[in-house]
Amino acid sequence: MAVLGIESSAHTLGVGVVEGGRVLSNEKSMYHMGPGGIIPAKAADLHADNVGPLVSAALKRAHISVRDISAIGYTKGPGLGPCLRVGQLAAETIAAHSGIPIIPVNHAVAHIEVTRSMFGARDPLVLYVSGGNSQILAITDSPFRHYHVYGETLDIGVGNMLDNFARAADLDPAWGSSVERLARGGRYIQMPYTVKGMDFTFTGLMTNASRLLGGRPSRDVAYSLQETCFSMLCEATERALFLTRKSEILLSGGVAQNSRLRAMLESIAQSHGIRAHAAPNSLNADNGAMIAVVAEKYQEKGFRFPSKARGIDQRYRIDTVEIGW
Amino acid sequence: MVKRTRAAHRLISEGAEAKLYGARLFGIDAVLKHRARKEYRIAELDERLRLQRTRSEARMLYAASSAGANVPAVLFLGNDKIVMERIDGRMMSAITAGGWSMRTMRGSLRRLGAQLAILHNAGIAHGDFTPANILLGGSGKVYVIDFGLAETTGSAEDKAIDIILMKRSIPARAYAEFVRAYRAEYAQSGSVLARVSEIERRGRYQARTLLSA
Ligand SMILES: Nc1ncnc2c1ncn2[C@@H]1O[C@H](COP(=O)(O)OP(=O)(O)O)[C@@H](O)[C@H]1O
Ligand SMILES: [Mg+2]
Repeated sequence: MAVLGIESSAHTLGVGVVEGGRVLSNEKSMYHMGPGGIIPAKAADLHADNVGPLVSAALKRAHISVRDISAIGYTKGPGLGPCLRVGQLAAETIAAHSGIPIIPVNHAVAHIEVTRSMFGARDPLVLYVSGGNSQILAITDSPFRHYHVYGETLDIGVGNMLDNFARAADLDPAWGSSVERLARGGRYIQMPYTVKGMDFTFTGLMTNASRLLGGRPSRDVAYSLQETCFSMLCEATERALFLTRKSEILLSGGVAQNSRLRAMLESIAQSHGIRAHAAPNSLNADNGAMIAVVAEKYQEKGFRFPSKARGIDQRYRIDTVEIGW
Repeated sequence: MVKRTRAAHRLISEGAEAKLYGARLFGIDAVLKHRARKEYRIAELDERLRLQRTRSEARMLYAASSAGANVPAVLFLGNDKIVMERIDGRMMSAITAGGWSMRTMRGSLRRLGAQLAILHNAGIAHGDFTPANILLGGSGKVYVIDFGLAETTGSAEDKAIDIILMKRSIPARAYAEFVRAYRAEYAQSGSVLARVSEIERRGRYQARTLLSA
């Protein structure tokens, strides 16, 4: 039987249907940010309006009805409170009607696990790059099976940095993808580069890039910003690779859609004689199918989540989640 | 002669940043640390990082040694190469890999705390203060190596990161021993250790699970 997944942690509302790990549908709607960035209450209102129709659309696209759903997953966190609440409420409502189990899912786990299962990667080193977070991880068995964080951003996520820059540069849409387009053919300008062991920081770089915008061609600034932040991520990843000696690298999260970052990771993998994997863009952008994929894994292993284990958690850390499969 | 040439090319270690080779200079046993080009990054950035770090590492090794810390002496500095004195010792991470014996490690941990106190007192944050960058000599002497990420700093935060990196890499009892010596030897240790607690409270580090404990 199929599993439904609802993702609503930030600007994207996604609803997906999965069966036996196969994605049957993956519908989404987006809140478009103004110059001030995302306003959580407004995004949440929009998600609340869209969630009903989107669930119907996802079921229809999967050629099933709500009676064919055996469990429903939603994003518990991390993310924006008002947005997360929309997803949880929708899940609780549908489940109340059909009496199926509700499964809270960690957003970061979903991003990584959807890629890991797609490539059958058993024990990869993971570079997880999303809006709110950027981490280097690998599965560890002690004290319980979980994603251990080897390194991470000490301030903001690389995705948020790129989005901020896109707004400062008046790009439309104000997304990382616009920065990637703008950066093509740019020339290098020196920028702050901060890696501390396997950790890194981005605010200094972001401030510097935004300041340069007035005086330098925006293409050169975008190019140098990308080269600098991705090189930082790659350096930290390579350090973790030497430490862990993993034989696969997995790139996931929204920023994994960037083809320059993919090429750089591919280059590192090649120089180590190992493979690098990244999922197609539709699964790297926030989406509901990845939530369904993880919910299905929990269900297959018989995990149950009573109502007090559900709710939302805006700062839900990935390394507190048991990877029980 | 032939033997020596071979030894001079022996790869000692390959890390994320540099390759280390056995070498001899002025009749001294030495190691050559070479920061090779990284294909993944653009040439301009790559060159800047390799040159900057090589130069900075040499400068920091010199500053540390002037402050009285046990570090290898720099014998030669090239664009992306440093030749330094070879330390006759074993990596602390290799010694403890098979398990921790507080009985044999206690003295080393105290001396390690004292070494970090010397560095911090001289305004040097190491930047990658983990057991892989500590060599323990046969005589019991503790050496600090790999100043590639070291910085001159007045910031308690940078110094606190040194403490946190070590704390994350060794068992709690070992950390207690290390930090006791650090506290005793460094007058400003109070503000650094206060910053350690603050960073841990901020969440990022605190919430991380420990691998080796
Ligand atoms: N001066 C030295 N004497 C003896 N061994 C050294 C010396 N410097 C480095 N090594 C050995 O090489 C390894 C890597 O050197 P390091 O400077 O830490 O480079 P990396 O930046 O690659 O970590 C060390 O862990 C140590 O085993
Ligand atoms: Mg080292």
